[in-house]
Amino acid sequence: MSGLGGARNLLRHPLRTALSVAGIAVAAAMLLDMVMLSGGIERSFERLLLARGFQYRLSPRGTLPFDTEATIPNVSAVVTMLRRDPAVMAVTPVLGAAIFGRRRGDDSLVTLFGYGFDPSTHALDEMLRGRELAEGDSTGILLGAPAASLLRAEPCDTVTIVGRLDPEAAAPAVERRLVVRGIVRWIYDYRGQPSVGTTLPLMQRLAQVASEDRASLALVKVRDELATPATTARLRRELPGIEVNGVADLVRHFRERLVYFRQLALILGSVSLIVTVLLVTTLLTIGVNERLGEIATMRAIGVSRASVLREVMIEGLVLVVIGGGLGTALGLVTARYLDAILTSFPGLPAAFSFFVPRPRPLALAGMALLVTGALAGLWPAWLASRAPIAETLRAEAT
Amino acid sequence: MSDGIRAPVLDGRNLRKSYHLAEQTVQALRGVSLSVAPGEYVAIVGPSGCGKSTLLQLLGGIDAPTGGTVSVLGTELGQLSDRELTHLRLTRLGFVFQRFHLLPVLTALENIELPMAEAGVARAERRERARALLDYVGLADRAAHRATQLSGGEMQRVAVARALANRPAIILADEPTGELDAATGRELLALFRRLNADGATLVVVTHDERLAAEAGRVVPMLDGMITCS
Repeated sequence: MSGLGGARNLLRHPLRTALSVAGIAVAAAMLLDMVMLSGGIERSFERLLLARGFQYRLSPRGTLPFDTEATIPNVSAVVTMLRRDPAVMAVTPVLGAAIFGRRRGDDSLVTLFGYGFDPSTHALDEMLRGRELAEGDSTGILLGAPAASLLRAEPCDTVTIVGRLDPEAAAPAVERRLVVRGIVRWIYDYRGQPSVGTTLPLMQRLAQVASEDRASLALVKVRDELATPATTARLRRELPGIEVNGVADLVRHFRERLVYFRQLALILGSVSLIVTVLLVTTLLTIGVNERLGEIATMRAIGVSRASVLREVMIEGLVLVVIGGGLGTALGLVTARYLDAILTSFPGLPAAFSFFVPRPRPLALAGMALLVTGALAGLWPAWLASRAPIAETLRAEAT
Repeated sequence: MSDGIRAPVLDGRNLRKSYHLAEQTVQALRGVSLSVAPGEYVAIVGPSGCGKSTLLQLLGGIDAPTGGTVSVLGTELGQLSDRELTHLRLTRLGFVFQRFHLLPVLTALENIELPMAEAGVARAERRERARALLDYVGLADRAAHRATQLSGGEMQRVAVARALANRPAIILADEPTGELDAATGRELLALFRRLNADGATLVVVTHDERLAAEAGRVVPMLDGMITCS
């Protein structure tokens, strides 16, 4: 009965209640987004790194993968050594280089990003149409959709790829006509990045690093139970000239760089909870003050302080539940919209996401919101339950 | 009592009440004693500000006296905790106020159910009793109406039904006809008469001479004292 009264009390002033619910919904949406943002970046980054199950990234000493243009020399020797390691299941060296392509039709040069890799590992791409490169395929190439669009090419078309330009002669050093085997999605590409991929030896020739057998990084997959700090330490010992980073290390580096996102999320999340408290407390305090006469009457006819307290707190909870429900929907929509904006920043993988829903933090945020609503109702509820009966009734009668 | 004299259901002894108003201390009651026997119909009358509502509030345990004692059914109210006092008001006393004070968000039926719900009466039982009480006050057809959809007289009759919900030993009414026109006031007089005839103990504070005339005993008050009883 008291609960029923509590919920219905909110309908006395529908517009006022609606505005408060809207305010709580906005605050809840912000809280939801900030919870998704706070850990979502790391989670998304980790998922991206483990997309093909490679738990280690080997890069030139003192660098992070693709952080600089530095490369690992004699990468084949490194790969051979790693493949002899019983813990290692797969190794794939990757070379990333700026190259060029001739646009079909007008022969103009367009800038591309070229991957050289071992096609058998499928470490970098997801096939959209056509087929994968065969191992040792020296005449085939895979195009990402933006590159295919730039080059105006489709599977089975022939495209001309131009290697690194010679700064002295201003003429292309290496030029190859290659057959497009397939159109792929490059997992680590940013949105709109025009990337192509060939076998590693071919890309090394295009990038003019074949003689030194260079690669930008190597991806290493070990048996899951062996992806431990001990394995990391052992690989570091065995490869002193190379930076060995496990996924956890890379996530840590990433976290350090994006610490301000977490701080922002924490601050805005806290602000949203404070706003919720203020909204609920204000609405309930106004409501209680308007109903002091009724509340005094209830107390006079024998309704206990606990019941009055419960009724007002139920009002707060109902407000928060409705506002939280609407806020969840609003938060998911705004998260999608904000994600689209943030992931369009240059240099961020398109598969990356800033707002990742995770059940436990979301459940905790929901609980925090409910507790906040209940606590916000405490003060007005306490005021209501402590209203002096006789004094209030006297005031009402005059 | 063993000698055949009925023990009072309500007994106020030497009641005094003062409160502060701005810089002044107002003596609302100056040593009032009043006993009410079971089944009695008592009207407390007097001019505005004479202390009759204050006396009713002390007798009903809504307010605490500055001095003196109040006993309800042999229980001295000053000895009770807030929780015990609230429970006593809920189960042993029924209140009717001048301004009805029904909860506007509840229907007539739900308003009557409220004290029973608070007392822990099962839903089906309280609904049945609430309907019976609505029928008793002649509002059976108004059960689903919100308080705001009722006339003044109807609201006061619902308030009377609410006061009767937990079968109280005593009904205390403060100016019950004060907000009603003459016709609806007469309906309430008839209702009170019927209640008393059915055995209810009534203590009514009123300006209404007709209502006072219905009472078995009239207690006149002036300046915080009973002038004769």
